[in-house]
Amino acid sequence: MSQPVSRRDLLHNVVRGSVLATLGGGALFLVQKAHGQVVWQVDAARCINSRLGDTGAEACKLCTTECVVALSAVRAVNEYAKCGRCNICPAYFNITSAVDEKGLPSEKLCPRDAIARKPIGKADPEDPANNFYEYVIDEEKCDGCGKCVMKCKEPLGLGSIVLRVRYDKCVGCNRCTISRACPKDALVQIPVEQALRPPELRPRTE
Amino acid sequence: MEYRQIQVIGGKGSAPGQFATSLRSLAVDAHGQIFAAGDSEIKVFDAAGRLKRRWSTARPVLSVAVAADGAVYAGQLRQIEIFDGAGKLVNTWRDETLLGRVTAIGFVKDGVLAGDAADRAIRHFDHNGKFRNNIGKDNPVHGFLIPNGVVDFAVDSQGIIHAANPGKHRVERYLPSGPLLGHIGRFHGTDPAGFGGCCNPTNVAVRDRIYVTEKAGPRAKVYDFDGNLQAVVASAPFDPNCKNMSVAVDGRGVVYVADTVKLAIFVFEPVTV
Amino acid sequence: MKPRPRTVAFRSVAFQGWGALWAAPILGGILSALLALLLGLSFAPILAAQAIPYSRPVETAPQQDTIGGGYKTPAVQKPLPRDALFQVLDVLILAAAMGISVWLVLQRRSRKWAVALTVGSLAYFGFYREGCVCPIGSIQNVAVALTDRTYAIPMVVTAVFFLPLVVALFFGRAFCGGVCPLGAIQELVVLKPVQVPPRLDRALGLLKYVYLALAIGLAIKPALGRDFLICRFDPFVGFFRRTGAPHMLLLGGGFLLLGMFVGRPYCRYLCPYGPLLAWCTRLARRGVTITPDKELDCGLCADACPYGAIDHMRAVRKDCLYCARCYASCPCDGDLAHAKAELVTLS
Repeated sequence: MSQPVSRRDLLHNVVRGSVLATLGGGALFLVQKAHGQVVWQVDAARCINSRLGDTGAEACKLCTTECVVALSAVRAVNEYAKCGRCNICPAYFNITSAVDEKGLPSEKLCPRDAIARKPIGKADPEDPANNFYEYVIDEEKCDGCGKCVMKCKEPLGLGSIVLRVRYDKCVGCNRCTISRACPKDALVQIPVEQALRPPELRPRTE
Repeated sequence: MEYRQIQVIGGKGSAPGQFATSLRSLAVDAHGQIFAAGDSEIKVFDAAGRLKRRWSTARPVLSVAVAADGAVYAGQLRQIEIFDGAGKLVNTWRDETLLGRVTAIGFVKDGVLAGDAADRAIRHFDHNGKFRNNIGKDNPVHGFLIPNGVVDFAVDSQGIIHAANPGKHRVERYLPSGPLLGHIGRFHGTDPAGFGGCCNPTNVAVRDRIYVTEKAGPRAKVYDFDGNLQAVVASAPFDPNCKNMSVAVDGRGVVYVADTVKLAIFVFEPVTV
Repeated sequence: MKPRPRTVAFRSVAFQGWGALWAAPILGGILSALLALLLGLSFAPILAAQAIPYSRPVETAPQQDTIGGGYKTPAVQKPLPRDALFQVLDVLILAAAMGISVWLVLQRRSRKWAVALTVGSLAYFGFYREGCVCPIGSIQNVAVALTDRTYAIPMVVTAVFFLPLVVALFFGRAFCGGVCPLGAIQELVVLKPVQVPPRLDRALGLLKYVYLALAIGLAIKPALGRDFLICRFDPFVGFFRRTGAPHMLLLGGGFLLLGMFVGRPYCRYLCPYGPLLAWCTRLARRGVTITPDKELDCGLCADACPYGAIDHMRAVRKDCLYCARCYASCPCDGDLAHAKAELVTLS
């Protein structure tokens, strides 16, 4: 009676051992392939809202609607070093709205009022138009709808506002749902250091 | 007033009369010859649009202007090269700080004006290149508001400088010695008489009237000296992605506009109604 | 009284039923292979974005010295992703949770504490970590890593894939019991479970293999055509994230509703990790055991088990989801250990 048990036990142990070895080997093989973190990021050179060439079109809202997170992990980001600091910013103001008595457009563009405008540098008290203005996007309000990005884009603006994935909000899906919907394949998976660099809209030829 | 397009000169390409990568500035001399600055070359076309002459510049050329004596001034990075009418280099004015990016050149009785985009000001030199004074820096923002990176101005027959200040949506008038005399134009998003967008007008030319070009909704317009809109020269033929389109006017009132994307010179003549 | 297989020599529980149940894996294996082949062949074309053929002028924005007035260009905020250290922490917590599950169910045999672990896992792995990264989804990542040379799998994902399998090799499906958040949420809604007839149970069980094959097949496609099915069709991730597409939330709700009457339907009939765990569990030495000498043949455990893991008074370890209900219902064990019932012995 004890012999069938021990043979079975032995077989059991051998098979278990070999499965464990296979699993261990597999794990080691996979671990060798592991490297630094890879994250999803918007390629500004492909994104409809920021790539050069399409003017006057309706802003693409897919980054807002497709993201699995409640308030999309994609937000508009103003690269301050590239911003024109214009008095009448087409991303802040709705420049087709009626002009008020101060000479500024009466309506703002952002549907969630996420952009704040404040004068910077030395102000000219007699001529407020003669001044630089800083435009700061409140990321807690922004939902990545892309309207400001589309308006800031050249030639109307200088293209300093782009859509970026924010990694304190992004959950890092295996396949970003926005990437599945994006018509220009603008969502790419790249190493995190590259993803945090300022966006390249177009290589300079001068 | 109305205008109609009569010609297109140049275009994008590698042929002698075409432009490869850029078309930045236009000037018209007394004989009706058109001087075009693009790539690293000055090209001279006759009134019919045929290429007459062309010569290279040391650096990519940003602006061109023709003096009364026929000398051709080519503005570049940190220098101005002066050629004779045939294209031979006569002189080079170099200055690291005063001629950072020379995007416009003009002439007054007692000297030469150069628009420096790096410092957002117009420099006033005498005929030998000695610096006299700045124009446009005497304000709290120390210069013109030029997010588009180009200072453009023109000098009228009275010697008054008409400079485009795109950030303020107006064309300002200055004396060569510096003081601001006045301005025309205002921001308006939808009214064609106003300047729309973030920074318009981008370029200006003057002869009896003020001719301006705008971007983002590219168009060329004509105003009188009181700021009343006289005509919209054209908007349709320009590539929608143009910006900083140089404009020039000749003695007959023919308007030349440089399309910076199509790299072609559009020629419009006034139609007597 | 039903005849009991008592006179038969003691057979290791793990080998019990091998004969009858061979059919399922073989069929499943064939189906998987066919589907994987079919799907692997359908490659999605990768669309290249068209370049706009003109150049952008030189950078001309005003800089801080031009603006003057003491202005400093603010730095653009660049939030970093979750620190790698926290991901390692997650793996450690996973290992610890499985260890606790084994100890609570096999050693302590406490249903009460098993439920506590279930709630804790649901809170941490479910609502806090929002169900991601999970071992179920990691199947896809491992499949991609094995087939795509350019894909570098994060170490954490590898660990999360292999740890539950290693535990299953020794102790069975400890992962399913009180650790997996998808299982945990279904576990907590079990109200009045019905015993699914064995044939139906087996037939539905084949769906797991189909899902596994589909998931692997779609994951190993080239990069842009890759579809992570398990992640996309996770019915409960919408609850964990507190937001989701209406149809997915409805599906999740449907599963939970069904789960009130059919114990853990996703786990038993759809979870693609299940077959992998089941294969490893076959080799486990320890696990839930119903000792023939001690059991009373009262059938209380079989009735208590909502997952059909007790067949003919023997625990089917590969189906056992570590809920400890059998221990809780056994009159010879747990809280009732001291109140021994009068035994009726066979003569």
